[in-house]
Amino acid sequence: MLGFLSARQAGLDDPLRLRRAESTRRVLSLTLNPDRDVDRIHGNGINTIDIDAIEGRYMLSGGADGVIVIYDLENHSGKQQYTCSPVRTVGRSSRHVHKFSVETVQWYPYDTGMFVSSSFDKTMKVWDTETLKPAEMFEFEDNVYSHHLSPIARKHGLIAVGTKNPKIQLCDLKSGSRIHVLQGHRAEVLSVRWSPRYEYILATASADSKVNVWDVRRASGSLFTLDQHNGEKSKASSQTVNTAHNGRVNGLCYTADGLYLLTTGTDDRMRLWNSATGENTLVNYGKVCNESRKQLQFTVSRGCSPEFVFVPCGSSVAVYALHTGELITMLRGHYNNVDCCEFHPDFQELYSGGKDGNLLAWVPVVRTADVEEVSNGENKFPWISAPGFGPWSAGWGGAGLRQGGHSPRLLGCGPALLEGLASWTALWPCGGATRTLA
Amino acid sequence: MKNDMNRKRALISDAFKIKKKRNGAETFGAVDEGGGPADMKSTLEHLMTLFPRKLFNDTLPPIVLKHQLYSIHDDKTLVDKEVNKLQESGELLMFQLGFDSEAFGLVFASDYRAKVLAGEEGKVTRTTVDKFLEKVVSSCPDLSFSKDKMLKEFLFTDSEITQLVKSGVLTVRDAGSWWLSIPNSGKFTKYFIQGRKAVLGMVKKSKYNEVLRADLEERRTTSQVKFPIKYHVHDIVGAELVESIPTTSGTLLRFADS
Repeated sequence: MLGFLSARQAGLDDPLRLRRAESTRRVLSLTLNPDRDVDRIHGNGINTIDIDAIEGRYMLSGGADGVIVIYDLENHSGKQQYTCSPVRTVGRSSRHVHKFSVETVQWYPYDTGMFVSSSFDKTMKVWDTETLKPAEMFEFEDNVYSHHLSPIARKHGLIAVGTKNPKIQLCDLKSGSRIHVLQGHRAEVLSVRWSPRYEYILATASADSKVNVWDVRRASGSLFTLDQHNGEKSKASSQTVNTAHNGRVNGLCYTADGLYLLTTGTDDRMRLWNSATGENTLVNYGKVCNESRKQLQFTVSRGCSPEFVFVPCGSSVAVYALHTGELITMLRGHYNNVDCCEFHPDFQELYSGGKDGNLLAWVPVVRTADVEEVSNGENKFPWISAPGFGPWSAGWGGAGLRQGGHSPRLLGCGPALLEGLASWTALWPCGGATRTLA
Repeated sequence: MKNDMNRKRALISDAFKIKKKRNGAETFGAVDEGGGPADMKSTLEHLMTLFPRKLFNDTLPPIVLKHQLYSIHDDKTLVDKEVNKLQESGELLMFQLGFDSEAFGLVFASDYRAKVLAGEEGKVTRTTVDKFLEKVVSSCPDLSFSKDKMLKEFLFTDSEITQLVKSGVLTVRDAGSWWLSIPNSGKFTKYFIQGRKAVLGMVKKSKYNEVLRADLEERRTTSQVKFPIKYHVHDIVGAELVESIPTTSGTLLRFADS
């Protein structure tokens, strides 16, 4: 890290490189932190979470009991110990609450004044965040598994909806119409996702093992279907139909740049596809346990090099390197199946929710000092008052740094406080790098 | 200047060497058999030595399963790529073994050719098989062939195709397409599945469903298990039917119930 920093200082390296290196280091050290908590509101499992793209401050969560909660993720309390508290809740007592479990929630991509939720009660509701009343409600004939609004759309306000019916409906936010239907699947559509690169490209995954990529402007069917064998029918069974997986495809995720698409299926495999050509990149992630009969919400990191995929795998979250397929680590902490996870790109944090009703926040950990350099007991942090310290924190938007004064004597403080110093601990060429025992 | 260029070429991921060991911490127990750059061919040859030729009276070429390689080398994608390379160069042949859509058998092309021709000695179908081996197997590393391909590209007649099926080189997949196959491999499949079940059973029966790998390899095998037990251990580890956990007393295999 010292190398990156001095190279940046001297202008040898692009500023982006240092930022990527630090983001990667933080993602590699994700762990549960006793000082970071999310208030437990949901009584039953949490099916879906979404963090707003504008500020990264508010998190929506939808539960199996139909309850929707909005959490404030930012810490303005000035203390290390922070519990993300709910700002608003659509509870069971609300007149407009969903009758059955909420399957997908998503913030309106441009501001937090609106969000959309869809549920097994066959409706999709567009809510006004201020009044928590639905501004619009779309009713369907079947359970709604998944919906998605395009994060970059300027020319259209379409919501793609995947239901038990093989036809994918496109609901228009601007006009309220729902006449546009995409036909092509033969079984229930478990997941839909707009491309973050092109506003008219949509990918859909279905229980008939197929993943279709559509251009919604096109009158006739899909652009192409993903084929796991890349045209070589030799390895497939005798079907000539292209399948993306050997089972139901229940998870879709585009990488942040939209160049690659990840799919997961009940054949316990995860595949990485080139989103432009539909070619299977044949990256082998090994066995990615998947028994979900509904949508599996997984996520890819952003701003790191290499990128990481966070996939719920049973009761833990598996972290894989995106392009090599290597399993980095398993994040264990949930008591029951994990259903959804979401990455916060600004702070490199991961939030995951599962059937146990807990929302866990995985936060980058303090980097421990080298064993040989531990001095005899006394904690010295001379670099806190070093002149460069202040401007660094401001420049990075307080990435992980807590508010409040840091006193040189930090005996007995938890790892959270050191977290802010973590990034900088090894950057300063001081002889005595010490650490406080947590 | 040179250092400058080196820095620009260096990947950020190298700076972290994902899973880097701090303070020279040892990864206790697990013996890293892969080590260094993956040399697939030598690994394959090593695994081929585990294959019991005598069991089949030397009629079968040594068969290794692709997922057995995963148990030796960490990077699955790299293994896949290397195997693909060997396939394209014509040295290695891959077969769909039939009992599992994900299980692929690998055989060295030279071995395969030798055994098939040896098996065809004195049979009527010999010339057809010879022609097939020469034309098809050497030029196109596919797993299956469709009728169109056989008739047009390779100019085989229907009766010739029937002869090939009879000799065991082709197996019917569905109406109009065939798998490439190894003659007399039925016995292999049968013993293999039997042995796999038995070894998995051994792991399952142990206390806490886990067994040290070294222990398992030392155990006396029942008559169900015809292959050397190491062959089966590589198989179950590579197919992720058991979890491989490094401990201070060696690698532990725990039954993975999904």
